[in-house]
Amino acid sequence: MLKVNQLDKTYGQDKHSLKSVSFTAQPGEVTAIIGPSGAGKTTILRSVNQLIRDDGGQILLDDQDIRQANKAELRKIRHHIGMIFQNYNLISPLTALENVLHGRLGAKSTLAGMFGLYSTAEKTEALALLAEVGLKDYAYQRCDQLSGGQQQRVGIARALMQHPKMILCDEPIASLDPKSTKIVMDILRKLAREKKLIILINLHQIDIAMSYADHIIGINDGAIVFEGPTAQVNDAVLQKIYRQATEQKAKVAANEA
Amino acid sequence: MIENSSSQPNTIKPKVPNTERISLMTKPRLILRAVLAVLGLVTVYSLVTIDTAGLKLGDAFHSLGINLKAMFLQPNVGQDSWGVLLKALSTSIALTILTTLLGALIAFFIAVFTARNLSPNWLANTLKAVMAFIRSIPTIIWVLIYSAVMGLGANAAVVGLTFHSIAYLVKAYSESIEETPQATIEALKASGVRFWPIIFQAILPSIVPALLSWTFIRFEINFANAVAVGAAAGADDIGYYLFMASGFYFNFHEVGLIVYLLLGFAIILELISMRLRGHYLKQN
Repeated sequence: MLKVNQLDKTYGQDKHSLKSVSFTAQPGEVTAIIGPSGAGKTTILRSVNQLIRDDGGQILLDDQDIRQANKAELRKIRHHIGMIFQNYNLISPLTALENVLHGRLGAKSTLAGMFGLYSTAEKTEALALLAEVGLKDYAYQRCDQLSGGQQQRVGIARALMQHPKMILCDEPIASLDPKSTKIVMDILRKLAREKKLIILINLHQIDIAMSYADHIIGINDGAIVFEGPTAQVNDAVLQKIYRQATEQKAKVAANEA
Repeated sequence: MIENSSSQPNTIKPKVPNTERISLMTKPRLILRAVLAVLGLVTVYSLVTIDTAGLKLGDAFHSLGINLKAMFLQPNVGQDSWGVLLKALSTSIALTILTTLLGALIAFFIAVFTARNLSPNWLANTLKAVMAFIRSIPTIIWVLIYSAVMGLGANAAVVGLTFHSIAYLVKAYSESIEETPQATIEALKASGVRFWPIIFQAILPSIVPALLSWTFIRFEINFANAVAVGAAAGADDIGYYLFMASGFYFNFHEVGLIVYLLLGFAIILELISMRLRGHYLKQN
């Protein structure tokens, strides 16, 4: 279980990015963070694996506080947190299989990692994971020859190769067409259900969040304005989450008029 | 022919007020023309007043023709033998390979700490400044400096050539490293991968074509330098024989042969590099 307590983050002098953010995400569930642009969705996600250093609070993954970990401990924790990105962030001249194997690099010693020494078991597992996301025939293709949806699935296989407890997804479908979106989201939901993973996902598209997420966290201007099961999300809640954005738009429109 | 239907074509004339003279001669143009005029005058003056020291142009061109003919139409081994010259050429090639490989290897590790996206700013800037300083002094001068330390010979040539190669390649490599997208590095960092595995597994595969290209250019530069350095530092390579044949024995037949040998190797080098680049570009 991921439990975030009173997370604070300030950029610069007084621009609050996160204001005492608290929420929980359960294994076996898809948890979606929704909110207007600039509300702090990415900041939350990147604080969870400490790619962004926050200013205060608690991030408990299975009762271990990630924020208290030293460098070596943090690396170990990160190894069990998969992450997928809007732009996939694969090493494009390498094959899909090599990119999936990169998921094991974090578990290796410096030398074994430098020379990319993988055991047969690891290679077999990588191939099996590629088959699981439906890319078995593309294992030896260079990643820049794959489509966006295929690259994102390679990214998911790479995350799974880490044997993760949790997968963080930073706008995973923002660059994908509807068909690829459905494939990727179906895979993510299946992973939550079957492997009991924590899936924490940043989303722009409310309809996708409503149809795939079990648990919704609504964020507005750095503060949580809603947290609860998807069934409880109604128009009033959505209005609250996207409130300021619409207000601001109205203001801008009024100023322009 | 298309005839104009109206006798007076309809032209639009802007109304121009009567102003003072309009000049397109701006000040920078005026200065430029003045400088060119002065240079022209100096050239004419020096040509007219040149001291030819009784040189007869006809004779001079005649002997130039004879020498060029001896060099390029009648090349032969002169007082050395094919064996000696080919061995000297292989010494030059060996010198080039050794200094380029050593330089490339050392330069890659320094470049990692010189790339702004991998190392702290103060370290990157310091290394960049040191490398710029080393680069600004020509290779030959470094070889002569090391000759003063280690004595004339192949050792000074190797160290001097490697030294300058490192400074050159560090700049090229670190700029290639800086071009790898930060996001791909971050993706591996987020999964707990250590520093050196990221370098070798993520950055290196992305920049292999650039590294190869730069290393080959340096290989060509080092070959030219190795020939020149051979003469200067007495490294007993092809440059030394070229120097002796041209400046000591005045054997222009041998000079011609050595030039052909160098040309042949340069062509082979070019072919190899084209092949290699083609291979890696196809993969990309």
